[in-house]
Amino acid sequence: MSLSAYIPIVGLFALAAAFGLFSVAIAPFVGPRRFNRAKLDAYECGIEPTPQPIGGGRFPVKFYLTAMLFIIFDIEIIFLYPWAVSFDMLGLFGFVEMVLFIVAVFVAYTYVWRRGGLDWD
Amino acid sequence: MTPMWYIVLATVLFSIGAVGVLIRRNAIVLFMCIELMLNAANLALVTFSRINGTLDGQIMAFFAMVVAAAEVVIGLAIIMLIFRTRRSASVDDANLLKY
Amino acid sequence: MPELKLPDIDYAALLPMLILFGAACVGVLIEGFVPRSVRNMVQLVLSLAAMVAALVFVIRRAGEVTAENAATIGGAIMIDNMGLFMEGALLVLGLVSLLLFGERTLERGGAFVPHAAVTVGSERDREQAVDSGATEVYPLALFSLGGMLMFVTANDLLTMFVALEVFSLPLYLMCALARRKRLLSQESALKYFLLGAYASAFFLFGVAMIYGFAKGVDFRAIHEAVRGSETSPTLLLIGLALVAIGLLFKIAAAPFHVWTPDVYQGAPTPVTAFMAACTKAAAFGALLRVLYVGFDGAKWHFTPVLGAVAVLTMLVGAVLAVTQTDLKRLLAYSSVANAGYLMVGLLGGNKDGLSSTLFYLVAYGFTVIAAFALVSLVRDADGEATHLSRWAGLGRRSPLFAGIFTFLLLAFAGIPLTSGFMAKFGVFGAAIAGDQTWLVIFGVLTSIVLAFPYLRVVVMMWLSEPGETTPSVSIPGVLTSAVLGIGTVATLLLGVLPGPLLELADQASSFIR
Repeated sequence: MSLSAYIPIVGLFALAAAFGLFSVAIAPFVGPRRFNRAKLDAYECGIEPTPQPIGGGRFPVKFYLTAMLFIIFDIEIIFLYPWAVSFDMLGLFGFVEMVLFIVAVFVAYTYVWRRGGLDWD
Repeated sequence: MTPMWYIVLATVLFSIGAVGVLIRRNAIVLFMCIELMLNAANLALVTFSRINGTLDGQIMAFFAMVVAAAEVVIGLAIIMLIFRTRRSASVDDANLLKY
Repeated sequence: MPELKLPDIDYAALLPMLILFGAACVGVLIEGFVPRSVRNMVQLVLSLAAMVAALVFVIRRAGEVTAENAATIGGAIMIDNMGLFMEGALLVLGLVSLLLFGERTLERGGAFVPHAAVTVGSERDREQAVDSGATEVYPLALFSLGGMLMFVTANDLLTMFVALEVFSLPLYLMCALARRKRLLSQESALKYFLLGAYASAFFLFGVAMIYGFAKGVDFRAIHEAVRGSETSPTLLLIGLALVAIGLLFKIAAAPFHVWTPDVYQGAPTPVTAFMAACTKAAAFGALLRVLYVGFDGAKWHFTPVLGAVAVLTMLVGAVLAVTQTDLKRLLAYSSVANAGYLMVGLLGGNKDGLSSTLFYLVAYGFTVIAAFALVSLVRDADGEATHLSRWAGLGRRSPLFAGIFTFLLLAFAGIPLTSGFMAKFGVFGAAIAGDQTWLVIFGVLTSIVLAFPYLRVVVMMWLSEPGETTPSVSIPGVLTSAVLGIGTVATLLLGVLPGPLLELADQASSFIR
């Protein structure tokens, strides 16, 4: 059986894609632009697009702190992964090294906890 | 496909980052360009690892990622500090130190 | 079940580093659990004790180094004579500059801001003006110093990259912690960080290129690949250039020096002293190892380029120092020029070049720490008065401190009977022996140019009348006095009796590959 039987299907895909792209590309040029308040509303769910506060809608700084802490602790996993994969081969030495590594991370965690980095308010 | 193309891609990404640092003005964007450079280096390391047939390059990419994450945290902390006082992250506004 | 070959770890050789990192971790815990009122004392004692202990183990290690026991952790760290000397030098200089961190009598609460996260100029910022300063600087300094120790003993480029970041990241933070002129301080941290991260990205990409060239990143593999290179050296040259950019940034060589004046001016003065002495020493230690151990086969490629960089560095440092009106910036440009002189010694390419560079690093370190200690003494209501005009007539106000500063400036200028003279003499002599006379010519010429700004400060201090605005010189506390004393005496001793240190540097000037 030859693949040539599928050529029409490929052609259909190409046609569909071209039509989609064409419609999206042409709409801003030919379509009417009439303002309507309802158009700006969120559809069924989502955040109401309210006027942004002065300075352009910023998140509270708490998010930033949490995100930073997440990155730090998240990236440590990178070393746990290869270790876990070759745990059997590395044996006790690898285990002890990894415990030391986690202790070092835990020191940083303790500091964050004691200095209020984990408090939301 | 020869792996050399990945090196070419890495070089292109690195150059985009390097030029970006020189021409952009927002500290965050500058910082993203630096991250792009680091990731280009990671791509080059992993590709060379494949070409050389050793695993060292992949391990090095791990280390580079962790270092980059630490750098992100410190960098964003410093940028935040400045931003909260000046309400601007533009490096052109940071102009108290000169001559 | 297959067994991996585990690396042998010589804990005794690594002990100085382990002590510093361990003490830094304990310091972080102290920040969490010890009450604020006693924290400064506890942290200061802990970090001083850690540094002294590390120094003791470095000294005990001296003389035990053999070709067999130098490499450890599977060859990632190489504690040879050179590495050991650099470790000792870094610890001594770090110890002296750490004393400045602990000074609390010049300013209520010390030179560091209590809470760096508080917005400048806010209500809380005014409230914290009299609070005790942040003690996080001690663990940060320990982490940084530990990273420097790792940097100078790193035996492959990856370890070197990690060490570079370990010692740089705390420095970026410490720059932002000044109590007075917080905006300047934060700005200097931003600039240092952005440019430092930029340089380290270059370094990492260079490492990748070298890895592609040599199929490995440890210096022995690189050395063999450079020697037996049949393939085109394009990757090698690109890689070496990028790695060199990363390192030249840290030693503040032109054209990678632009951060230096801003950061030196904006950072808290104790941190500036620490950076000027230790960062420079660590970066030179690493640069020496990279060029002498890894890439000595490519000497013919890099010597002319680095020679041009050295000339540019000396010229930029000397000429721009003349135009400065701020004392900290002046010292920063002088530090740029000194990086050029150090490079002259490095490019001598012989054993004398190595040993004279080592001597220069130590001698310059002591002098520059003492100079910044003195800068921190001259104060008015707004903190340190670093503008040159404010120093006019200081000789009449307090002859002792003006005298010490004059002596230090003369040492920078390289007047005989100071360590500066012996250091410059050494590097220039080594460069002539290594057939780099053209560098020496530029070195001597720029030294003459550079003498001008130093002498201008001296003339201003002694020959002007003190005006209404001449600030007073604060009486230093015990710690700053100790720093001043150590720095000045070392500057004098190394100028009069350089023998012991020269001999030590000479013994240390050999790498194990």
